Amino acid sequence: MGDHEVIGLEKWLKDNTGMDIYFWNFIVLMFFTLFEIGAVFFNKIPGTDVKISLMMVWTILIVVGIIKGYGIGAYFMHLKGDPGIYFKTAMFPVLFVLLMIFGIGLSNPDGVDGLPAWCTPNWDYATRR
Amino acid sequence: MSGYGADINNSIWMRAVLFAGGFLTFGIIAFSILGVALAGPAHDEYLAAVDEYHHAEDAWKESVAAGDSIASDHNDELYIEKEEAHHHEVEAHLSYLNWKVSGNTILVMCIIFASFIGISGIMNSIQPDDEHSDDEHEHHGSASPIIFTFGIMLFMIGFPGFANTITELLTGTDAVLGEMAIGVFGLLVIIIGVSNWWGEDLPFSGHGEQIATSHPFEGEHIRKAGIWIFIMSEIMIFATFFSSYLRMRTGWCTKWAWDNDMCDADATGYDILTASDYLRPGGAAGTGDFWTMLPGGINTFALIISSYTIVIALKTARAHDWSRPDNFITKYIPDPIIKFIFPDQKRTVRNFLFATLLLGSLFIILKLIEWSHLVAEGFTVSTSQAGSIFYIATGAHGLHVFIGLLIMLYLVFKADTVGYDKDNAQGIEYFGLYWHFVDLAWVLIFPAFYLY
Repeated sequence: MGDHEVIGLEKWLKDNTGMDIYFWNFIVLMFFTLFEIGAVFFNKIPGTDVKISLMMVWTILIVVGIIKGYGIGAYFMHLKGDPGIYFKTAMFPVLFVLLMIFGIGLSNPDGVDGLPAWCTPNWDYATRR
Repeated sequence: MSGYGADINNSIWMRAVLFAGGFLTFGIIAFSILGVALAGPAHDEYLAAVDEYHHAEDAWKESVAAGDSIASDHNDELYIEKEEAHHHEVEAHLSYLNWKVSGNTILVMCIIFASFIGISGIMNSIQPDDEHSDDEHEHHGSASPIIFTFGIMLFMIGFPGFANTITELLTGTDAVLGEMAIGVFGLLVIIIGVSNWWGEDLPFSGHGEQIATSHPFEGEHIRKAGIWIFIMSEIMIFATFFSSYLRMRTGWCTKWAWDNDMCDADATGYDILTASDYLRPGGAAGTGDFWTMLPGGINTFALIISSYTIVIALKTARAHDWSRPDNFITKYIPDPIIKFIFPDQKRTVRNFLFATLLLGSLFIILKLIEWSHLVAEGFTVSTSQAGSIFYIATGAHGLHVFIGLLIMLYLVFKADTVGYDKDNAQGIEYFGLYWHFVDLAWVLIFPAFYLY
């Protein structure tokens, strides 16, 4: 949220709408929040007979999460515009987070049984369990 | 004593007492209206609904015992009456909880706010001005961290009793307030420690920001770098909640997954109920509708709006030549309202910080109402792993919001007394980073725990 030069999209929005990037970021965040709540609340796409499947809900939640995360991080937290060291600092834990999400989070309790033999040499934990 | 650009001789502590009195008055009024005047009749209605349900249940049981009804016949008139009475009882209970919990929460929050701002303001005002900043002289030793840590220890010792009483307050049952004594005393010591710290190490003017002199933050403000490193550690904390939740969640056959044929082929039914199962329309308790998901939905919007209001506060504080906004939105708002929201640069900053404080407070109130509903429906921290991880993750997030509110009180107080300008607005910027992070964490928690 520091001072920075207004260029590109930010300048275009300011010149053409009179409102700054923060306002439009706020509007985008509000819209997508409404969208994700709607995806869960409605069983069918309103006005149609098209069923919103569980897979579709997951996809919507993940895509909306990424968009909202970008909006908050890039504009509200000002990673886009501040010196690169802050972006690097914010990104530093990502490796650990990914390790935790994929290594722990997505290896569900059945995952250990599914590991290939070369990955568990002389390790019978999975069968003993 | 003087602050930046203003004579604040005695006005600081007097203003602090005024703030504290305002919060206390508001808390008592809100409690009287919500927790007593509205909750009382709702409680009577709830008790009547319980009686009605017991009568309907007895009538059905007697009918089954006499052989007039078949226990498995769900189309039986008496069975339907019993079920309707049950739904009415649940709705009456939740309605009672809405008023009771909101009244209790507002009162407790206002007492904490009043204590914090009252004690902090007085302690700040009794510090000689040259002790407010450590930028101009050698660093001094401080007892504040020790006092703060001692308070945390006391709070942790008293936490079981504290949590038990809070649960009783949430469920609307008779609470023994004495059980909270050690925990509340611990909180008081924490407040004194933080207040003293504030007086010692947070310069009221905000000038003289220290600059890092070595790689990798060379040339950057030390406190900003510190906030980012703090946020980095926070990301790790929330990632542990997410990874443990995901690990369990991907192995569960939840009601939602079962209803969508997403469970393993050998599954014979769902094996666990998550918070989202309860909150979803037509949820696990059979009472879920638009209103059950509403608090979580409103909270999401409240946090996003609060992220924007703090951005406006910072922008206003940093504006070189501030003037009231004139755009396609303000064009449709009556002039007196515009003047009320944007009176002048200093008070506009205060107003938007105060709006952020209100939105954050709304988040806490709705969060506790929502928790009380889940507890009433049988989804508690000890119900299952789903309950444990839900309350720990959302509770940790709620705690971050609440701590943020206390810091925000300081910002509002400073904005109201000394004021912010382009040279001393770093406090808003750095706190804003923390607040946006809290918002960002909610962006992930909300879909993961409430919608998924």
